[in-house]
Amino acid sequence: MSHEQLENEETIPFFPDQFMREFRVVIGIVVIAVVIGILGMINPVGLEDPADPFNTPAHVKPEWYFLGLYQLLKFVPKTTGVLIPIIGVVILAIWPFLDRKKETSLKPTKIRALVVAIGMIILIALTIWGGVS
Amino acid sequence: MRKNLGRLPIRRSLQKVFFFSLILTTILLTSLTIHVLANQSPPQNQLSASTSANTPSLTSVESIFKASLQPQRTFSATLPPPKQDPCLHCHITGENKNLWTPLARWAIFGTMGLIFAFGMYRTGSVILNRKTWKPLTNRTAEWIDERYEISEPLSKVLKKPVPKYALRWFYCLGGITAFLFVVQGVTGIMLAFYYKPTPEAAYASIQFIETQVRFGAAIRAIHHWAANGMIIMCTAHMLRVFIMGAYKNPREMNWVSGVLLLVLTLAFGFTGYLLPWDQRAFWATTVGSEIAGAVPIIGNLALVFLRVGWNVTGETLSRFYALHVIIIPLLTVTFMFAHFLMVRRQGVMRPL
Repeated sequence: MSHEQLENEETIPFFPDQFMREFRVVIGIVVIAVVIGILGMINPVGLEDPADPFNTPAHVKPEWYFLGLYQLLKFVPKTTGVLIPIIGVVILAIWPFLDRKKETSLKPTKIRALVVAIGMIILIALTIWGGVS
Repeated sequence: MRKNLGRLPIRRSLQKVFFFSLILTTILLTSLTIHVLANQSPPQNQLSASTSANTPSLTSVESIFKASLQPQRTFSATLPPPKQDPCLHCHITGENKNLWTPLARWAIFGTMGLIFAFGMYRTGSVILNRKTWKPLTNRTAEWIDERYEISEPLSKVLKKPVPKYALRWFYCLGGITAFLFVVQGVTGIMLAFYYKPTPEAAYASIQFIETQVRFGAAIRAIHHWAANGMIIMCTAHMLRVFIMGAYKNPREMNWVSGVLLLVLTLAFGFTGYLLPWDQRAFWATTVGSEIAGAVPIIGNLALVFLRVGWNVTGETLSRFYALHVIIIPLLTVTFMFAHFLMVRRQGVMRPL
């Protein structure tokens, strides 16, 4: 945003106003981290059995943030299932070059919010499904 | 700046010197008194009382039996309870010979001595130069600015006007992600001191961190949960930007760098998951790299690149460790720097 535009609206200096705001957020995160550390000493993250290439466990599952993809791969052929997230990320990366219209109303924001809501519901549902199955 | 040079500062400095010497003298005198009082030998009257009870004036067997049960020597002062330092003043007088006593003594008296020396120097310089004393912070700032000429650009950076709506809560999601990355860096370096990236030692080293290293379990828990938090916050930040349409002109490249940062965060998670070398880690990586192998055309190449061969072995662990602690952090820092620079240039988007 250029300075000419900024002069028309209310501004605050970066330091100390915004800096102190960010600093408070940082303090909050540090406090949470300390609490997690104390809880972690009571109840450690822990380990499973040592890795054994000749003994496949019954339920092999990835981390929770890949569970959606893991569940998706059960329904679609493997190649398609792998291409979906790759194409998704590529489209996401070049999205600003596809959607170039200047916005004047709140309507596109609402549409995007709806798209995000539907997408997240599908993703969370797939993740939970992958987690319990 | 005060007009009246000379007089008031001198008086003030002298006042300070006087008070410091007063405090020093008081502490020394007190410790000396405690020393003298505590090192006096115990009074003898109790001892003589107990011996007089043992005199053969009582002839009955019973009384002799009773007397033999009595302790031979009783102390006038009660003994200190266990675990309490029996001689506090010994720390000052030097009779206590443990490790921390001389260190504490050096810290306390050394600091006091430094303050005293500083006061003397300050007084002397004020008397000799006939000028008001310049605070040390100002001196340091001037010293640095004289050499690096940093104050002008720094104040420009710090005083940059920011729109007031930048304080809305949803604008701090990205900052939280960035700080969680810092947390991951610090705890990750701490873990790297004890972690051994070989298939023989990796599992045992994690066990060592969890059980033997002081606060090792806490550091590992923070690293574990902050990683999950970073992914959640990164996604939340991205969804916020997407819904608000903040990726539009002129911020296209910022969005692209943000997507790359999300991919790098997921890569952090994927490579870090193998490092404990337990069953879950091993098989999750096996399945994960199998999925990478299903990509058309470059699938086998990607699989071999990830596994260093056709199977998950010690080589895979080594490679994932290098990716996790060197390659991906460097890429992330680079892209974060570009990301922040662009945010700085273009500002945050005005909510509609």
